Amino acid sequence: MVDLKLPQRNRSTPIVPERSVAGRTLVLLIAIMTFLSGVTLGGVVLVQKSAIAWSSDVGREVTIQIRPVEGEVMESNLRTAVALAEQTPGVESARALTMEESVRLLEPWLGSGLDLGAIEIPRLVVVQLGDPAEADIPKLERDLAAVKGATLDTHAAWRQQLNVMAGTIVISGLLVLTLIVVATVLAIIFATRGTMASNREIVDVLHFIGASNSFIAGEFQGRFLSIGFRGGIFGGLAAILFFVFVAFAVSGVLPNEASQQLGVIFGRFSLGFDGILGIAAVVPVIAALTAITSRLTVRRFLSQAS
Amino acid sequence: MRNPVIEFSNVGLRYGHGPEILRDLTFKIDPGSFHFLTGPSGSGKTSLLRLLLLSLRPTRGKVSLFGKDVSALDQDSLLQMRRHIGIVFQEFRLLEHLTTFENVALPLRVLGQNESAYRANVTELLDWVGLGERMDALPALLSGGEKQRAAIARAVIGRPDILLADEPTGNVDPELSLRLVRLFAELNKMGTTIILATHELELLEKFDFPHMELRDGQVVFGG
Repeated sequence: MVDLKLPQRNRSTPIVPERSVAGRTLVLLIAIMTFLSGVTLGGVVLVQKSAIAWSSDVGREVTIQIRPVEGEVMESNLRTAVALAEQTPGVESARALTMEESVRLLEPWLGSGLDLGAIEIPRLVVVQLGDPAEADIPKLERDLAAVKGATLDTHAAWRQQLNVMAGTIVISGLLVLTLIVVATVLAIIFATRGTMASNREIVDVLHFIGASNSFIAGEFQGRFLSIGFRGGIFGGLAAILFFVFVAFAVSGVLPNEASQQLGVIFGRFSLGFDGILGIAAVVPVIAALTAITSRLTVRRFLSQAS
Repeated sequence: MRNPVIEFSNVGLRYGHGPEILRDLTFKIDPGSFHFLTGPSGSGKTSLLRLLLLSLRPTRGKVSLFGKDVSALDQDSLLQMRRHIGIVFQEFRLLEHLTTFENVALPLRVLGQNESAYRANVTELLDWVGLGERMDALPALLSGGEKQRAAIARAVIGRPDILLADEPTGNVDPELSLRLVRLFAELNKMGTTIILATHELELLEKFDFPHMELRDGQVVFGG
C-alpha cells in the first residue's frame, strides 16, 4: 500500500556520467581503429581468396613441352604425348597447341610478323586435370620418358611463389592488425586515465561510502563498453561500405585494363559472406578490448589510489 | 561495562617525511556517544577523521574499531568495516549529476540493492530530513542547508554505527547550524556514535555534549 503512494521513478542514472568520459573523441578514435582493422582484415581475406583461386586454377593444368629433336617428327610426338596424357588417371583432357598458338606465345619476346616456319620451335600440350589430387602425375612423367624431348611442367614453382607471396601479405596484414590493436589499447589506457583523473571526486565519494574497487571498475567498464560498441559499429560499417564502394568502382568506373590488373591481386573485390562476417566480428572484439583495457586500467588506478 | 567502539593507542601520523601532525593519541570512545572534535585550523581534525574512516593508516600505534585492530585487516575486511561508518563533509560532496534521491540511495546501490527494495526507506529518510519535496532535484538546485541534509541522509541511509562529520556546518548560516546539529543529536538518540568536527565554539556552548580538542597533535577531552 505504501508503495502506491511513492513516486514512480525512471531507470537509475549512471553513476559515471556519460559526458564525463572522453566520449566523442574516443568513439571517433575507436571507429577509425575498427575501420583500419576491418580494411586490413578485408584486404587479407581478398588476397588470400585470390591466391587460393589462382593456385587452384594453375593446379588444374599441367603443360607438356616437346623440344625439337633431330630425327624426331614433332607432330607424331605431339600425338603420342596427347594420347599418353589422355590415358593418365585424373586427366580430363589434353590438347596440343597449334603452330599459330605457339607462335603467338613467342610474340612478346620475338615480336610479331616473323615467319617461324623455317625453324622448329618447342611445342606445348595443355593437359587439364579433372581432380588435381587424384591425377597420377608421376605416371604421366614416367610415360613421357618414351617421347624424346618431352618434359612435364606442373607449375609447382609458380604455385610456390604465389603461396609465398600470399603468405607474406597475410602475415604483413596480421602484423598491421597487431599494431592497430596495440595502438588502440594505448589510446584507451590514456583515455581511461584521463577519465579517472577528471572523475576523481566520484571515485573518492564511492570509496567513502564503501564501494569496492570492483564495483567502481564495473561502473567505468560499462561506460567504455558502450563507447567501444558505438565506435566499433561505426568503424565496421565504414569498412564494409568501403569494400562495397571499391568493388563498385573497380567494376564500373576504372578502365578495363586497370580493373584486370587489380583483379589479378584482389579478385573481384568481393569479400563474400565470410569476409563481411570477419569484419563484423571485429566490432565485439574491439568493444571487449575497450572494456577489458579500461577495467584493468581503472583497477590499477584504484589500487594505486587506495 | 561496554566495549569501546573506537580505541586509539599511541597513534601517530605523519604525511611522507613531514612532521608528525598527530602524536601519541590514546583514547576510547563508547558506543552511542556524541563528541565534538575541535581545534584550530591545521590541528589535524580532518586527518583524525580520515584515520577513523580508514582512508589513512597511522604511521605508528594501534587503531581499533568495533574491537578489531584495523592494521590487521585485509582490503575486503576494511571495506566491510567502512560500510559501518558514515561520513558528512563540509563541502557536501554530492554527485552533481544525480538527484537528491539518487545521491542518498548511492550507498545502497553500491551494495547491489535494487531501487524497488530501497525506495521506501530512502523516501522515508528524505521526508525525515525535510527533503521529501526535493528528492528529484539536482544538487545544483538545492540550498546549502538542503545539500547538507541530503549529505547527512546519504551518510546514515546504510544505518552506520559511527557517523563522522567534518565541519558539516561550515557552509551554512548559524540558525541552520543549530538545526543540523539537532539532526545529528536525533541520530545519536537512535544509537549512532557521532564525532562532529567543528571550529564553531557557539555550538559547543549550546549543546551539552563532551568535546575532544586537538592541540599540538594531541587530544584533550573536555566538556
